[in-house]
Amino acid sequence: MKLLVAIYVAIVSLVLFDVGLIQADTHTPAEPDSVKIFPPKITALKDTPNDAGTSIDILWELSPSESLFPGAIIEYQIFRASSPESTFERVGAVPAGVSKFSDGGTEPGKPYWYKVVAVGDSQQAASEIAGPGKSVMQWFDRRRKGVLVFVILICTLIAVFIEVAKAKKGKMFLRHLPVFDAIDEAIGRATEMGKKVLYIMGQSDVDDPQTVASMSILARVAEKTAAYGTKLDVPCVWPMAMSMARETVKESFLRAGKPDAYKEDDIYYLTSDQFGYVAGVDGVMMRDRPAANFYLGAFYAESLIFAETGYTTGAIQIAGTAMVDQLPFFVVACDYTLIGEELYAAGASLSGDPIQIGSIRGQDIAKAIFFFYIIAGVVLKLAGINWLETLLRLD
Amino acid sequence: MRLQIPLAIILVMGIFTLVTAFIPAKPIADVNQLLRNWYIGIITFFIFLGTFNLARVNINKIKRRRRDWGYSFILLGCLALMLFLGFYKGRASTEEGQPFMYLYFNVQFPLGATMYSLLAFFVTSASFRAFRARNKEALCLLLAAVIIMLGRVPVGTAIWKGFPSVTEWIMNYPNAAAKRGISLGIDLGLISMALRMILGIERSYMQ
Amino acid sequence: MSVIEKLSKLDRRYVFLAVAIAVSLPMFFPLGLPVEVTAPVKQLYDVIEELPERSVVLISIDYDPSGAPELQPATLAILRHCFKRNLRVLVLGMWAPGVPLGMKALDEVAVKEFNKKYGVDYVNFGYRPGGAIFLVNLGRDVHDVCRTDVYGTPVDELPMMRDVHSAKDIALVVTMSMGVPGSDQWIFYYQARYRGKLATAQTAIGAPRYYPYLQTGQLVGLIGGMKGAAEYERLVKTRGFASIGMDSQSAAHMLIIGLVVLGNFIFWMEKRKK
Repeated sequence: MKLLVAIYVAIVSLVLFDVGLIQADTHTPAEPDSVKIFPPKITALKDTPNDAGTSIDILWELSPSESLFPGAIIEYQIFRASSPESTFERVGAVPAGVSKFSDGGTEPGKPYWYKVVAVGDSQQAASEIAGPGKSVMQWFDRRRKGVLVFVILICTLIAVFIEVAKAKKGKMFLRHLPVFDAIDEAIGRATEMGKKVLYIMGQSDVDDPQTVASMSILARVAEKTAAYGTKLDVPCVWPMAMSMARETVKESFLRAGKPDAYKEDDIYYLTSDQFGYVAGVDGVMMRDRPAANFYLGAFYAESLIFAETGYTTGAIQIAGTAMVDQLPFFVVACDYTLIGEELYAAGASLSGDPIQIGSIRGQDIAKAIFFFYIIAGVVLKLAGINWLETLLRLD
Repeated sequence: MRLQIPLAIILVMGIFTLVTAFIPAKPIADVNQLLRNWYIGIITFFIFLGTFNLARVNINKIKRRRRDWGYSFILLGCLALMLFLGFYKGRASTEEGQPFMYLYFNVQFPLGATMYSLLAFFVTSASFRAFRARNKEALCLLLAAVIIMLGRVPVGTAIWKGFPSVTEWIMNYPNAAAKRGISLGIDLGLISMALRMILGIERSYMQ
Repeated sequence: MSVIEKLSKLDRRYVFLAVAIAVSLPMFFPLGLPVEVTAPVKQLYDVIEELPERSVVLISIDYDPSGAPELQPATLAILRHCFKRNLRVLVLGMWAPGVPLGMKALDEVAVKEFNKKYGVDYVNFGYRPGGAIFLVNLGRDVHDVCRTDVYGTPVDELPMMRDVHSAKDIALVVTMSMGVPGSDQWIFYYQARYRGKLATAQTAIGAPRYYPYLQTGQLVGLIGGMKGAAEYERLVKTRGFASIGMDSQSAAHMLIIGLVVLGNFIFWMEKRKK
């Protein structure tokens, strides 16, 4: 019988222990008995501005215990409910000393009630329930109005100059870059030597405008190689860029009147691993010794490895990138380099299309406006006026 | 029609994406989210396309006994081996101690590091060959480069304590100013490029 | 052929040999020169130092084995600092080959050095594809883009992730980056949208590009190459691989300076001759 009672007591104790009715004394409170955790006080529930209407800011006064007993509070836990009577769910926590939390899990227009609990080592104290708070959906991010003005201005300028260029039938002055002649020269040399042209589009995928800019230069290079009957080799880093390059080259061969000369396998995927790709391309350079190497697109540390390997094989090298830190390497080791924005402009300029030329002129005018904006901003700032400086800030 | 439909998609998507930067409202944000998820899905699919293409190009090379076809054989062998080792035990294949990880840390790791380390050799030989004080500007560049090289290593500090702070000054002011100027031009070029794409002016990649 | 002519036509393989000697000798005969801490590295250290305990730091492993010699020491040093400060760490990466490097670093620091608990003190989401688009989604809803961790555990079953839903819940992001996708994407698509604190560790070759972002406050710290990592190691009081590599780097830099001077001397002599 005694044994049965003992087993019964043991089981009941275990169950109670499990549901938390009996607290095991395994934890020694760090706080002395005199420490008391006072509750924080919610001061405001505000809609988070400029968002999708899915967030409410909860602001509170810190618990007095923060100043009375420094270090006593570990964190504030934030609880939310859809009515004051329903069960409150924890939505987040912030460390002691922080008096704001943005609850990003709300639905627009729906009322919510909140409480904030100050949590100490062994005690906690909940604020009074506050509410209702509602999140409101916004249709315009006010912080970005300055940016919007500038976007509209730039787009308008580009659109206007496209029209002007159309009216002038493309007869608009555009600085002629020596590299444009060099492209023809390099392909011509490769043709004379009976060697291939190697075209590298950089490390980025098609979501990088540098790759798209490179694609438009590839179109011109491919057209020329098709016309001269020179072999073109395009190893790619990303499969999507490869598909796009294939379409580009195919179209160029068609334009050159040599659709049958197009070989899909000349544009191929190598690897997406940066230095694996470098090893592969260097291998092509050393084995096939192309007479002309084009490096146009986004490049990283591999730029100098390509350019130096190409230098040792004696190829004419034409590079272009908007990656500022790689430019010195290309300038040192290549014959011609398109610097920064020239990469974006080259394709348009090479095409001779009045619409594309007009867009470059529009972009140049926008650049001049920015130049004066920066000068005016600096002058005004020195005079203690911050208006122009803050116009394009996002926060 | 073959051209118009893709151009219309680019126009609508381009303008929509631009607009989402200014309209935070939930319905717009949700559609934008959906489009982004599609994009991630498409990219994942393209990984298979890339692998398939790599295999196809190299199989053709072996079949036709093109020059250096032996390398293609090695490439396909490695590809198959790594694929097998990466999948044969499911998720557990990539746990510590598995053959996949052994090859990763003992083959891929040193090979990658080796390729990257080539930079040290090439930087040195390119500097020796091309870094010449041909005029006053080039001399300024050269001096700045020497200061930065010394400021970036402990031996520079051992020579003169001021090298790191001069280096930081060069990086923070002349370097940052030049980079900003170029970046501004690049970003405007980028906007113009994007606009050309959205409006269907730039379409060299379309048939 | 005069000495000057011979030198001007020097086979570059001799230069390569000189580099190999300059880099490897200090490994056998270390000089142990002290590393001076620069402001961009100290800034990041201070930011981590000032974060409240249990804050969440996201470390993005955006490099592969080729960048590991420069970036892995920085990853280890930052992890050490975070766990020392009792911060919670969320690891992910936009480069598939970087996943094992992240796992190795966590195993070395979180498990072996600090005995931290997975799922409570740190989580690892492994490779996340999508680049810029992934980052835009991440800032909006972490749970949506990281549905399972690297071991296949659903995100809702990880206790640490209960409080981590969006960019607002992440106190600091440190991207260990060597290319695309990397620092650029984090700056343009994450920091510009969500305004959180962002720092980066870069390979030495890529670091200069990020100084303007440091000035604008878009980056709160910058670790440049192995030197930056060595500085961080000094700050967290460990002597890791980066500190050991500093002697080799010193020797290599001195060699380059010597060769540049020699090259210019040859250039000047040839010019005078003409």
